[in-house]
Amino acid sequence: MSIKVGIDFGTSNSGVAVYDGQRVRLLPVDPKNVIPEVIKTVLYITRDYRPSIGQEAVEHYYRDNVNRQRRFVKQWAGEIDVYGADMHYVRDIYVYVDELKPGRLLQYLKTALRKEGYEGTQIFERYYTVSDLAQTYLSLLKKRAEDVLGEPIHAVTLGRPVKFSESPERDHKAQETLRHAAHEAGFKEVDFELEPIAAALDYEQSIHEPQNVVIFDFGGGTLDIAVMRLGDPNQRQVYASGGVDIAGSDFDRAIIEKRMLSHFGYGQVKYHPEIMEMIHAIPDWMALPEMGTPINKNILDKAVHAGTAPIQLKALQGLIYNDLAFTFYNRVEAGKIALSNNGATIISLEDKEVALWELYTRHQFETDIDHYLVDVEKVLLETIAKSGLEPGAIDAVVKTGGSSNIPLFTEMLTRIFGAEKVKESNTFTSVVAGLAIKAKM
Amino acid sequence: MSFSQKIDEWMKEAEARPESAVMIVKLVAKRLRDLTERNEELLTENIALQNGTRVEEYQKRIAHLEYQLDLLKRRFGGDESLLAELPTASAATSTLSLLVYNNYGRVFRIEIDADIEVPGRVVDETLQSSEQPRLLAVPSNEEVLLLFTSGRVSTCAVSNIPAVECGGAWSWNEAALPDEPRAGEFLACVMPISRLPLSEFFLQVSRRGCVKKTLSSMAQSVLGNHYLGKGTLQKLDQPFDVTLCMKKDLFAFVTIEGKLLGLDVNELSYSAEDRIKLTASDYVIASFVPNADESMLFVTQTGKVIQRESSSLELSKSSLAKGLALIPPSRLEQGVRFVGAASVRNEDRIAVLDSKGSINIHRAESILGAGSVEADGLILSIGVIPAEAAS
Repeated sequence: MSIKVGIDFGTSNSGVAVYDGQRVRLLPVDPKNVIPEVIKTVLYITRDYRPSIGQEAVEHYYRDNVNRQRRFVKQWAGEIDVYGADMHYVRDIYVYVDELKPGRLLQYLKTALRKEGYEGTQIFERYYTVSDLAQTYLSLLKKRAEDVLGEPIHAVTLGRPVKFSESPERDHKAQETLRHAAHEAGFKEVDFELEPIAAALDYEQSIHEPQNVVIFDFGGGTLDIAVMRLGDPNQRQVYASGGVDIAGSDFDRAIIEKRMLSHFGYGQVKYHPEIMEMIHAIPDWMALPEMGTPINKNILDKAVHAGTAPIQLKALQGLIYNDLAFTFYNRVEAGKIALSNNGATIISLEDKEVALWELYTRHQFETDIDHYLVDVEKVLLETIAKSGLEPGAIDAVVKTGGSSNIPLFTEMLTRIFGAEKVKESNTFTSVVAGLAIKAKM
Repeated sequence: MSFSQKIDEWMKEAEARPESAVMIVKLVAKRLRDLTERNEELLTENIALQNGTRVEEYQKRIAHLEYQLDLLKRRFGGDESLLAELPTASAATSTLSLLVYNNYGRVFRIEIDADIEVPGRVVDETLQSSEQPRLLAVPSNEEVLLLFTSGRVSTCAVSNIPAVECGGAWSWNEAALPDEPRAGEFLACVMPISRLPLSEFFLQVSRRGCVKKTLSSMAQSVLGNHYLGKGTLQKLDQPFDVTLCMKKDLFAFVTIEGKLLGLDVNELSYSAEDRIKLTASDYVIASFVPNADESMLFVTQTGKVIQRESSSLELSKSSLAKGLALIPPSRLEQGVRFVGAASVRNEDRIAVLDSKGSINIHRAESILGAGSVEADGLILSIGVIPAEAAS
């Protein structure tokens, strides 16, 4: 017998669940994770093209990469045609490649689906399209779920944000890329459900009378909102849905840009455009690894030798050349999460050449992301208005997704709807639970 | 942003949420304590630099590096003037020693040549003890590391072990005792260390299949402190073997009940971890680093030889694998047990110690061809004599 599951392919975390008509079973697809039912959306591909996902990928990455040796070799990458007024010549292009690099760690795979101009990436000798990356992740996830269930999975209901992108073409392309990847991963039937609606289906299991509900699904990549009538499956209705590309990864970026860059020379290095380029690449998880060339190392060495912000530039060198970027992003994210419960936290990173310590308060965080609050409130009120309901007619506001725990946004929901209407749900599992229910319908 | 601006922001948090003030004070106090400790460390370091302690430490380090360089030179030869400075090494360059040792730390050294077939025999009832004597062929100019079951290590030059008469009969009472085991410990194994500067890891395996790797860059500390560690997890487990290897190498070990486990050195942990699920009566009897162009040879106590190509070695990813069974369970029930295994080439020779105490040397090619080893009694252990070492 083969079965159909729900998969939440999230920006930061993913999950798989199955519904038997009575209860939802969240599958422990990552036994190494603190919550085995939640698996990090990270993919590690080794030099011999062996992929791993979740905590296993993270451990593999740390084991292979941190403080490893590097050896750069000059490699022919292609040629470009140069045309002048009366001449034309061909020039060879070379790149420096680290031939000891043991593997590549990829995260934010879902963001890559909608990122403009990002078609894929070169991993050693192979080119992986965005679809290939998603397929590799999904096939391993499917395999793990099948191992847990002990039977093959033939179909899937995948979650998707209300809007992958503001552009309808890109939105359609992102969904079709994901569908193609799922088929390639071995799912014979693939359908989609909006993530907030999936979260609504999960919430519906806990209510006994019809309600007007706002689902506020605020995750790692997007904010998705749905206004629905729930409680009676026969009269279930979606009044309106909306979303915006603001979420956890934007807040991480804001923290890095406003609080962390000074630890790596920002504000102290002024007349070195190459070094400024490296500093500005820090918030960008895709750009930072590309900075690790021997030329850049030489530039940093010279600047340190000349006494230009030596401590900060040594830290920058450590961040780039000791493969600390992933750890750094994780520390920033952990600091952000800690501020949901505490008034202050420490973001720190210590290594041979890095000694970063920053006391970060909730007040500072709220100041740093204040401008996002305006956009989020605007989208929320527009979606409510589109539904034809007044805020007073809303019976419950259900929060889901990691970013929905940020107090600034909880306070906003409380201000608009009243504290008694704002309901907590399972932050990381309500969407996947709803997708499993949808898969059974 | 200046530090005073940051403090102003912290104050704003404390004003907005007074409960945060306590946390901010705690975090700042912890930082202050850490910085104070760091400051003390730096002051200590400064004093060490000023009074010369640090200089002495670096001098010791340099001395150790020079020692490693000497080992390398002895291993690969050097110019005339260099050899003149190393008379003991140059005198012994062309000879090969076969070491026969037991767990009480007793070692016989027999100087053998390329033609010898019967180097001698051991006459002693201790041969019947559960811990079988082991054989190791090394160049006479080698340095060996002795690993004891307590995790202690010591080194000694092979040439410093008195050689016994080739072709004679020896009792363990006559054997040399390069480093007597201390109370409660036994000699686990002997390993040549001239390759140390060229290798990346020490790789230990215990009797119960617990594996641990240690960076060979820590050799100075290991040899200086005379301690490598037991490399075991369970209290009753004991170290069995240690070998030198590179990151790209594979590693294999074999148990008495014929379970073979292959491991990728690169993926092994720096802390001891169990890699095989063994039955209560099973334990490791051989470990080696298989090379791609060599065969893996497995010998049972009755002299039956099993051969596998090194390329066929399956690597285990699981932390508790069962291992590949070399013989069917029915043969195990009949009492077949393994006593030795190694990675060999056709031109190598195999030294075999049997229960009568006889040591016989056979060509690997003939053993592999015949599929068995002839011996006077049950075979106790084997040792490989590499072809290039004998030439």
